[in-house]
Amino acid sequence: MTWLVWRQHRAQFYVGAAVLAALAVLLLVTGLQMASQWHSDLVACTATHSCHDQGGLFLGNRAIGFLVIMTLGAPVLVGLFWGAPLVAAELETGTSQFVWMQSVTRARWLAVKAGWMLLAAAVWGGIISALVTWWSGPNNALYLNGFNPGRFDIMGIVPVAYSVFAMALGIAAGALLHRTLPAMAVTLAGFIAARAVIALYLRPHYMTAVTAFYKLTGGGYTPPGSYWQLAQGVVGPNGQVLPQPNGAYADGVPMSYLPHSCAPLNGGATKVPPSCAQALAHFRGFITYQPADRYWTFQGIETGIFVALAAALIAITAVVLLRRDA
Amino acid sequence: MISFRVDSRSVVPPYLQIVQQVRQALRMGLLDVGDQLPTVREVVSATAINPNTVLKAYRDLEREGLVEARAGHGTFVLRRPPGPPPGTHSRLGRSLASWVREARDAGLDDESIESLLRVTLRTTAEEEIA
Amino acid sequence: MTPIRPVPGPRDPQVGSLGAAAPRGAGCGSGPAAIQTSGLSKRYRAVSALTDCTITVPEGRITALIGPNGAGKTTLLRLFAGLAAPTAGELTVNGTAPRQDPAFLADIGFLAQEIPLYRRLSAADHIEAGAHLNPRWDGASVRERLTALHVPLDRAVGKLSGGQRAQVALALILAKEPRLLLLDEPVAALDPLARRNFLATLADAVAASGLTVVMSSHLVADLERVCDHIIMLASSRVQLCGDIEELLAEHQILVGPRKDITAIQRSHAVVQVTRTPRQVTLLVRGKGPVADPAFQASDVSLEELVLAYMGQDAPPALARLTTVGDGQ
Repeated sequence: MTWLVWRQHRAQFYVGAAVLAALAVLLLVTGLQMASQWHSDLVACTATHSCHDQGGLFLGNRAIGFLVIMTLGAPVLVGLFWGAPLVAAELETGTSQFVWMQSVTRARWLAVKAGWMLLAAAVWGGIISALVTWWSGPNNALYLNGFNPGRFDIMGIVPVAYSVFAMALGIAAGALLHRTLPAMAVTLAGFIAARAVIALYLRPHYMTAVTAFYKLTGGGYTPPGSYWQLAQGVVGPNGQVLPQPNGAYADGVPMSYLPHSCAPLNGGATKVPPSCAQALAHFRGFITYQPADRYWTFQGIETGIFVALAAALIAITAVVLLRRDA
Repeated sequence: MISFRVDSRSVVPPYLQIVQQVRQALRMGLLDVGDQLPTVREVVSATAINPNTVLKAYRDLEREGLVEARAGHGTFVLRRPPGPPPGTHSRLGRSLASWVREARDAGLDDESIESLLRVTLRTTAEEEIA
Repeated sequence: MTPIRPVPGPRDPQVGSLGAAAPRGAGCGSGPAAIQTSGLSKRYRAVSALTDCTITVPEGRITALIGPNGAGKTTLLRLFAGLAAPTAGELTVNGTAPRQDPAFLADIGFLAQEIPLYRRLSAADHIEAGAHLNPRWDGASVRERLTALHVPLDRAVGKLSGGQRAQVALALILAKEPRLLLLDEPVAALDPLARRNFLATLADAVAASGLTVVMSSHLVADLERVCDHIIMLASSRVQLCGDIEELLAEHQILVGPRKDITAIQRSHAVVQVTRTPRQVTLLVRGKGPVADPAFQASDVSLEELVLAYMGQDAPPALARLTTVGDGQ
């Protein structure tokens, strides 16, 4: 059975390997350049004690940077082109009637085919993630944005889970719909929906976010490391969150809440009159965030969610294929 | 080695066609005593008929004493079919003519006569074999 | 005179036009059975594909499964193979109910009508696949057969002609060394030469190994040569089942002047009646000659027999139906 899986899908394997090889070459070459550029920058700024002021530095090539962002879509590709046709094409062309009448049971047929494909998906996601994570090292160190949506999704172990999920979704869609093209459409839509819903609505709540309050005067507060900011603003004396200022404001507080003595602060004056300072003392800034040290916990939780979804989809596929008429 | 031809459209059933073709081959000298008949598989590959049909034909020939099946070796010709004694044809021809006259007098047309003859040939052949 | 046999209801497809009952398949054949069914039915939502089928497929014989399109032939074969499950009734194939078991699957060969092979793989690839997927596999026989038929082994199967593809599929099935072969309209799309080659290969395999074959078709002429047993389906039911020679011997055609046929009905089962203004034609079943001298008896061909049993629901094409006892 393994021989047949290989023989049927070896063209797909070669294409996938070629794509990974091309990606590897691009990222290795540019990544090494970026790393050396970053290293020499570090040496230079350490000498002049200006390393905290590197925010404007751009590392790397814009085109490759864009490609790296696009690896966001890499997991769904295996679901579309390897997963959706896996069962659907055999049902469509009727070759399922050929292979199921060899002396291999449907259970074994599905287990071997899906097993190898899920493994291939994991390898696909893992290799891409490894390349992207390594390549992004300097950027992550510079911008500390690894936990942010968009970057969280393309590094670490979650791309492996996304790929496995996409594959399982494609296989299940194919088994339920019996046709490759509709299965591909459902896979794409389902993948986008699941990823969007989980990333936007579930991920912020994997653990209860931390909220830190700080005095408005004094330069604000930045949590350490690569934290993930969820919300930021100002609270008033009663703890109520103030609306974002869209007119005159001082230190983040809308002018309507402050005495006239604070008016010069809107113009950019740095000297704070005492009566203004007193009024400002009633307000505090807050930042709600997920701390940097929760990064791997969150990666693990999201991985677990998608792997569980994949397992459920495979279970559904098995039930459908083994019980229904061929 | 003879080859058989089976005509699906003939009124003669396939196994009987084979029996007749063997007898004909023996009469014409294409098959001689001691020759081996084609194996069932050879006949079947050439004519695409049911193997049981060939087996039945060979069994009939064996019952008539014309051939002998030797296990593991094949089916071999034992003897030629006996010809009719002299004068048989003319004697039978005369009694046939009187029967035909009787049938025509009774009102049968030629087609009915032929049909009756065919059916009788078949049923008597089957009775002999059974 | 009142008919002795009961007059049928208008919707009973098992009964001939004038009160004769067609045997429903019990006692389809003698000898050991490769397949046995009892009251087998299969429904797809509101549609009944098979209704109450009770048949026997004898071992070591080549059985024809005949019926018009949509009669249920494909459904019946799929049930035999275990590709579909019955909604009612019982089914025994090679001694057990069909199930997902390598040993059961190894004993069955199934060839679907579309000849589903992997179009991009070559015959040689299929032979290799078969070796990996089956406990018994005679790959050399496939190569031998196909080479003798001049079928290229290394070309993608999708690029072969229909006849060549059918031969590849048949050779692959035979390489499994099954006990039972189920073929769904295997020669329907083949030209006469390809058809002949296919049937010859099939008959040869049966002669060599005594395997049981069930072959479906909607053309009678194809099957007369090579089949010795017949199952006839129409409107999802079994109309006829038995040894072909026996059935042909048991039936005859009677042609005579239009008159009362109740006397004949007493001694024979009337399967079909056709009337013209001057004569009546009957297809009857029953051993023994017909006493009435006004009727001429003749043999029935397999095609006429099949048409008669298939046409029991349909009105006769060229005659007017009249009631019994009308005119002389």
